[in-house]
Amino acid sequence: MHDSAATNPLDLAGRAILVTGASSGIGRETALLLSQLGAHLVLTGRNEEHLAETLQLLTGDGHRAEPFDLSATDEIPRWLKILGASSGPLNGLVHSAGIHKLRPVRTLRSQTVEDVMRINVGAAIGLAKGFCQKGVCAPGGSVVFLSSVAGLTGQAGLAAYAASKGAIVALTRALAVEFAAEHIRVNCVAPGIVTTEMGQSLLAKLTPEQGAALEAMHLLGFGRPRDVAYAIAFLLAETARWITGTVLVVDGGYTAQ
Amino acid sequence: MERNELLPLLDELLELEPGTVKGSDTLDTFDGWNSLAVIGFLAMVDEKLGLTLEPRKLVACQTIDDLLGLLGDRITQEIRG
Repeated sequence: MHDSAATNPLDLAGRAILVTGASSGIGRETALLLSQLGAHLVLTGRNEEHLAETLQLLTGDGHRAEPFDLSATDEIPRWLKILGASSGPLNGLVHSAGIHKLRPVRTLRSQTVEDVMRINVGAAIGLAKGFCQKGVCAPGGSVVFLSSVAGLTGQAGLAAYAASKGAIVALTRALAVEFAAEHIRVNCVAPGIVTTEMGQSLLAKLTPEQGAALEAMHLLGFGRPRDVAYAIAFLLAETARWITGTVLVVDGGYTAQ
Repeated sequence: MERNELLPLLDELLELEPGTVKGSDTLDTFDGWNSLAVIGFLAMVDEKLGLTLEPRKLVACQTIDDLLGLLGDRITQEIRG
């Protein structure tokens, strides 16, 4: 019998994986890569039209889009229970949906902080709570959250975003311990600036000089969404069977200095 | 948004007592006018007016009036300064 995992350790054939934020950026690119690796995907995001576009771009069949507003954090576990009952248990979960706000703390409103924390952290907790339910997660499940270099190093103007991404690192470690007995692995990826819509939006708020200085801090230049997607695939696949509670930094050397 | 609603926000951004900022003031005279304040102003304008300004144009401004000039007809009625 041909063992595809032996020839390609990143092989995800037959695995069902939920990707949030799949309507754009890293989430969309991750969905594309995972489908190329054989996974069956459940895509979620707020923008139904963009979600449908992602669905069209996927390789293989058995994929579906399930639009859902993750800001309704209390509803997430029930939504995942229904999802598990209708399409079978999930092998993996990638929480790529997120909000980025560049706001000096002097101009930061509590509502902005709450919005950022709700999607970036609250939804992550809701997804974990939903994922670990009976019938939702298949044995040996893997969860991958999106942190950021902003959660590891200080950056002016990013207090709310950095707090949320630092929280993801702490959440990853706590859940890795809590879920280990159930053989659910929990890890996160911490990207530097990637040329997504979110990355472009950040750069649009900087002068060309500030943008150039920021790029120079990424020793290998700004990243591509695919660079982060590869790291996510690695953490979902057999390649990371013995890895849990870790932060995989994918930042072109940003934090090496 | 009215001009007299925006000026207090600039006071806050620049860490000044309410009522300090006047239209003719030169930005360089404010210690608080730095790269972070520029980002703060961009964020403020985005949040309050839904307007995306070009950072390059913003850093070229000399006075408070220059800043407000970038907002075009989104700012109305001169009351203060």
